[in-house]
Amino acid sequence: MLAARSPEHVDLFAALGDPTRRAVLSALAARGEASATAIASQLPVSRPAVVKHLGVLDRAGLLDERRQGREVLFSVRPEPLESASRWLAVVASEWDRRLTALKRLAESS
Amino acid sequence: MQIPDRIEREVRIDAPIERVWALVTEAEHFGGWFADSGAEIDLRPGGAMTLSWEEHGTVRARVERVEPPRLFSYRWANAVDVEPREGHSTLVEFSLSAEDAGTRVRVVESGFASLDTSDQERQRQVDDNTKGWAIQLGNLAEHAGRALA
Repeated sequence: MLAARSPEHVDLFAALGDPTRRAVLSALAARGEASATAIASQLPVSRPAVVKHLGVLDRAGLLDERRQGREVLFSVRPEPLESASRWLAVVASEWDRRLTALKRLAESS
Repeated sequence: MQIPDRIEREVRIDAPIERVWALVTEAEHFGGWFADSGAEIDLRPGGAMTLSWEEHGTVRARVERVEPPRLFSYRWANAVDVEPREGHSTLVEFSLSAEDAGTRVRVVESGFASLDTSDQERQRQVDDNTKGWAIQLGNLAEHAGRALA
Protein backbone atom coordinates (compact mmCIF):
# COMPACT_ATOMS: atom_id res chain seq x y z
CA MET A 1 0.00 0.00 0.00
CA LEU A 2 1.21 3.46 0.65
CA ALA A 3 4.75 3.93 1.65
CA ALA A 4 5.80 3.32 5.19
CA ARG A 5 5.53 6.44 7.25
CA SER A 6 7.33 5.90 10.45
CA PRO A 7 6.60 8.76 12.86
CA GLU A 8 10.03 10.33 12.59
CA HIS A 9 9.74 10.44 8.81
CA VAL A 10 6.40 12.20 8.90
CA ASP A 11 7.80 14.83 11.25
CA LEU A 12 10.88 15.09 9.12
CA PHE A 13 9.08 15.68 5.84
CA ALA A 14 6.75 18.17 7.49
CA ALA A 15 9.73 19.99 9.00
CA LEU A 16 11.42 20.15 5.62
CA GLY A 17 8.28 21.11 3.74
CA ASP A 18 8.74 24.76 4.68
CA PRO A 19 11.16 26.75 2.47
CA THR A 20 12.29 29.02 5.32
CA ARG A 21 13.15 26.02 7.45
CA ARG A 22 15.11 24.53 4.60
CA ALA A 23 16.99 27.83 4.33
CA VAL A 24 17.70 27.78 8.08
CA LEU A 25 18.96 24.21 7.84
CA SER A 26 21.12 24.99 4.82
CA ALA A 27 22.60 28.04 6.53
CA LEU A 28 23.36 25.92 9.56
CA ALA A 29 24.91 23.15 7.46
CA ALA A 30 27.11 25.70 5.66
CA ARG A 31 28.36 27.22 8.91
CA GLY A 32 28.80 23.94 10.73
CA GLU A 33 27.62 25.43 13.98
CA ALA A 34 25.76 28.66 14.70
CA SER A 35 23.51 30.48 17.15
CA ALA A 36 19.98 31.60 16.35
CA THR A 37 21.26 35.18 16.29
CA ALA A 38 23.95 34.35 13.74
CA ILE A 39 21.44 32.58 11.48
CA ALA A 40 18.98 35.47 11.75
CA SER A 41 21.72 37.89 10.71
CA GLN A 42 22.33 35.83 7.58
CA LEU A 43 18.70 35.33 6.48
CA PRO A 44 15.82 37.76 5.93
CA VAL A 45 14.08 36.26 8.96
CA SER A 46 13.70 37.64 12.49
CA ARG A 47 15.46 35.97 15.39
CA PRO A 48 12.18 34.87 17.05
CA ALA A 49 11.13 33.27 13.76
CA VAL A 50 14.49 31.50 13.48
CA VAL A 51 14.07 30.20 17.04
CA LYS A 52 10.65 28.83 16.15
CA HIS A 53 11.95 27.11 13.03
CA LEU A 54 14.87 25.66 14.97
CA GLY A 55 12.34 24.20 17.40
CA VAL A 56 10.52 22.37 14.60
CA LEU A 57 13.80 21.12 13.12
CA ASP A 58 14.92 19.96 16.56
CA ARG A 59 11.69 18.00 17.12
CA ALA A 60 12.29 16.26 13.80
CA GLY A 61 15.66 15.14 15.16
CA LEU A 62 17.66 17.31 12.79
CA LEU A 63 19.66 19.36 15.30
CA ASP A 64 22.34 18.98 17.87
CA GLU A 65 22.87 21.80 20.30
CA ARG A 66 25.40 22.78 22.91
CA ARG A 67 25.71 25.73 25.21
CA GLN A 68 28.67 28.05 24.96
CA GLY A 69 28.59 30.86 27.50
CA ARG A 70 25.25 32.60 27.07
CA GLU A 71 24.65 31.23 23.61
CA VAL A 72 23.22 27.98 22.33
CA LEU A 73 25.05 26.72 19.27
CA PHE A 74 23.17 24.51 16.84
CA SER A 75 24.49 22.07 14.27
CA VAL A 76 22.85 19.68 11.78
CA ARG A 77 22.36 16.01 12.58
CA PRO A 78 22.47 14.31 9.18
CA GLU A 79 21.20 10.89 10.29
CA PRO A 80 17.45 11.57 9.85
CA LEU A 81 18.09 12.92 6.35
CA GLU A 82 19.98 9.78 5.43
CA SER A 83 17.24 7.64 6.88
CA ALA A 84 14.60 9.59 4.92
CA SER A 85 16.57 9.12 1.72
CA ARG A 86 16.70 5.39 2.33
CA TRP A 87 12.97 5.36 3.01
CA LEU A 88 12.22 7.25 -0.21
CA ALA A 89 14.38 4.73 -2.04
CA VAL A 90 12.10 1.99 -0.69
CA VAL A 91 9.04 3.88 -1.93
CA ALA A 92 10.72 4.29 -5.30
CA SER A 93 11.53 0.59 -5.53
CA GLU A 94 7.89 -0.15 -4.78
CA TRP A 95 7.00 1.91 -7.85
CA ASP A 96 9.60 0.04 -9.89
CA ARG A 97 7.95 -3.23 -8.94
CA ARG A 98 4.51 -1.95 -9.89
CA LEU A 99 5.68 -0.55 -13.21
CA THR A 100 7.44 -3.80 -14.00
CA ALA A 101 4.21 -5.68 -13.30
CA LEU A 102 2.35 -3.23 -15.58
CA LYS A 103 4.92 -3.70 -18.32
CA ARG A 104 4.72 -7.50 -18.16
CA LEU A 105 0.96 -7.38 -18.28
CA ALA A 106 0.86 -4.92 -21.18
CA GLU A 107 3.39 -6.87 -23.21
CA SER A 108 1.78 -10.29 -22.65
CA SER A 109 -0.45 -11.44 -25.51
CA MET B 1 20.71 20.58 0.49
CA GLN B 2 18.35 18.41 -1.54
CA ILE B 3 15.17 17.42 0.21
CA PRO B 4 12.98 15.27 -2.01
CA ASP B 5 9.22 15.59 -1.71
CA ARG B 6 8.46 13.51 -4.74
CA ILE B 7 9.31 10.28 -6.43
CA GLU B 8 9.56 10.00 -10.20
CA ARG B 9 9.77 6.74 -12.09
CA GLU B 10 9.57 5.76 -15.75
CA VAL B 11 9.13 2.62 -17.74
CA ARG B 12 9.08 1.91 -21.46
CA ILE B 13 6.44 -0.58 -22.55
CA ASP B 14 6.20 -2.38 -25.87
CA ALA B 15 2.47 -1.96 -26.23
CA PRO B 16 0.26 0.71 -27.79
CA ILE B 17 -0.70 3.67 -25.63
CA GLU B 18 -4.41 2.74 -25.76
CA ARG B 19 -3.69 -0.65 -24.23
CA VAL B 20 -1.53 0.81 -21.48
CA TRP B 21 -4.17 3.45 -20.78
CA ALA B 22 -6.75 0.71 -20.31
CA LEU B 23 -4.50 -1.21 -17.90
CA VAL B 24 -3.85 1.91 -15.86
CA THR B 25 -7.41 3.20 -15.67
CA GLU B 26 -9.71 0.15 -15.74
CA ALA B 27 -10.41 -1.23 -12.31
CA GLU B 28 -10.28 -4.91 -13.30
CA HIS B 29 -6.69 -4.49 -14.53
CA PHE B 30 -5.53 -1.89 -12.04
CA GLY B 31 -6.70 -4.00 -9.13
CA GLY B 32 -4.40 -6.78 -10.30
CA TRP B 33 -1.03 -5.17 -11.03
CA PHE B 34 -1.26 -2.38 -8.50
CA ALA B 35 -3.17 -4.00 -5.68
CA ASP B 36 -3.80 -7.71 -5.19
CA SER B 37 -7.44 -7.84 -4.21
CA GLY B 38 -9.18 -5.61 -6.67
CA ALA B 39 -9.98 -1.97 -7.22
CA GLU B 40 -12.92 0.29 -7.97
CA ILE B 41 -12.47 3.36 -10.11
CA ASP B 42 -15.14 5.93 -10.91
CA LEU B 43 -13.14 7.33 -13.80
CA ARG B 44 -13.92 11.05 -13.72
CA PRO B 45 -12.45 13.99 -11.81
CA GLY B 46 -13.71 13.77 -8.23
CA GLY B 47 -14.68 10.12 -8.68
CA ALA B 48 -14.11 7.69 -5.83
CA MET B 49 -11.51 4.94 -5.97
CA THR B 50 -10.67 2.04 -3.72
CA LEU B 51 -7.61 -0.20 -3.78
CA SER B 52 -7.73 -3.45 -1.87
CA TRP B 53 -5.07 -5.74 -0.53
CA GLU B 54 -5.94 -9.14 0.83
CA GLU B 55 -3.87 -8.93 3.95
CA HIS B 56 -4.02 -5.24 4.54
CA GLY B 57 -7.39 -3.82 3.68
CA THR B 58 -8.75 -1.06 1.50
CA VAL B 59 -7.18 2.29 0.72
CA ARG B 60 -9.43 5.06 -0.51
CA ALA B 61 -8.48 7.47 -3.23
CA ARG B 62 -10.05 10.25 -5.28
CA VAL B 63 -9.59 10.72 -9.01
CA GLU B 64 -8.08 14.10 -9.84
CA ARG B 65 -7.50 14.26 -13.61
CA VAL B 66 -8.54 12.02 -16.50
CA GLU B 67 -7.21 13.01 -19.93
CA PRO B 68 -7.25 9.91 -22.17
CA PRO B 69 -4.90 8.50 -23.18
CA ARG B 70 -2.20 10.66 -21.61
CA LEU B 71 -2.87 11.68 -18.03
CA PHE B 72 -4.47 9.97 -15.06
CA SER B 73 -3.99 11.20 -11.51
CA TYR B 74 -5.44 10.45 -8.12
CA ARG B 75 -4.89 11.31 -4.51
CA TRP B 76 -4.71 8.35 -2.17
CA ALA B 77 -4.94 8.20 1.58
CA ASN B 78 -1.86 7.48 3.64
CA ALA B 79 -3.62 4.79 5.67
CA VAL B 80 -6.39 2.26 5.23
CA ASP B 81 -10.02 3.27 5.62
CA VAL B 82 -9.52 7.03 5.81
CA GLU B 83 -10.61 9.77 3.45
CA PRO B 84 -7.88 10.91 1.04
CA ARG B 85 -8.03 14.50 2.24
CA GLU B 86 -5.30 17.12 2.33
CA GLY B 87 -2.60 16.27 4.81
CA HIS B 88 -3.56 12.60 4.76
CA SER B 89 -2.80 11.74 1.19
CA THR B 90 -0.25 11.91 -1.58
CA LEU B 91 -0.81 12.63 -5.26
CA VAL B 92 -0.03 10.04 -7.92
CA GLU B 93 0.19 11.08 -11.57
CA PHE B 94 0.55 8.70 -14.50
CA SER B 95 1.71 10.36 -17.73
CA LEU B 96 1.65 8.27 -20.90
CA SER B 97 3.29 9.15 -24.19
CA ALA B 98 3.50 7.22 -27.44
CA GLU B 99 7.08 6.42 -28.32
CA ASP B 100 7.99 4.58 -31.52
CA ALA B 101 5.64 1.60 -31.45
CA GLY B 102 5.38 1.60 -27.68
CA THR B 103 4.52 3.74 -24.70
CA ARG B 104 6.52 5.59 -22.10
CA VAL B 105 4.88 5.68 -18.67
CA ARG B 106 6.03 8.22 -16.12
CA VAL B 107 4.74 8.15 -12.58
CA VAL B 108 5.19 10.91 -10.03
CA GLU B 109 4.14 10.55 -6.42
CA SER B 110 4.32 13.81 -4.50
CA GLY B 111 3.18 15.53 -1.34
CA PHE B 112 5.16 13.70 1.33
CA ALA B 113 6.09 17.06 2.85
CA SER B 114 2.44 18.10 3.15
CA LEU B 115 1.41 15.24 5.38
CA ASP B 116 -0.25 16.60 8.45
CA THR B 117 1.59 16.16 11.71
CA SER B 118 -0.69 18.18 13.92
CA ASP B 119 -3.39 15.77 14.95
CA GLN B 120 -3.24 12.77 17.20
CA GLU B 121 -5.12 10.50 14.86
CA ARG B 122 -2.10 10.71 12.62
CA GLN B 123 0.03 8.83 15.09
CA ARG B 124 -2.34 5.90 15.07
CA GLN B 125 -2.50 5.91 11.29
CA VAL B 126 1.25 5.99 11.06
CA ASP B 127 1.55 3.07 13.44
CA ASP B 128 -0.99 1.04 11.47
CA ASN B 129 0.61 1.95 8.21
CA THR B 130 4.08 1.10 9.33
CA LYS B 131 2.91 -2.28 10.50
CA GLY B 132 1.32 -2.97 7.13
CA TRP B 133 4.30 -1.89 5.16
CA ALA B 134 6.44 -4.97 5.49
CA ILE B 135 3.51 -7.18 4.53
CA GLN B 136 2.79 -4.98 1.57
CA LEU B 137 6.28 -5.15 0.17
CA GLY B 138 6.08 -8.92 0.26
CA ASN B 139 2.77 -8.86 -1.60
CA LEU B 140 4.13 -6.63 -4.30
CA ALA B 141 7.19 -8.73 -4.85
CA GLU B 142 5.01 -11.81 -5.08
CA HIS B 143 2.67 -10.16 -7.56
CA ALA B 144 5.58 -9.01 -9.69
CA GLY B 145 6.83 -12.59 -9.62
CA ARG B 146 3.47 -13.90 -10.76
CA ALA B 147 3.36 -11.36 -13.55
CA LEU B 148 6.74 -12.60 -14.69
CA ALA B 149 5.66 -16.23 -14.73
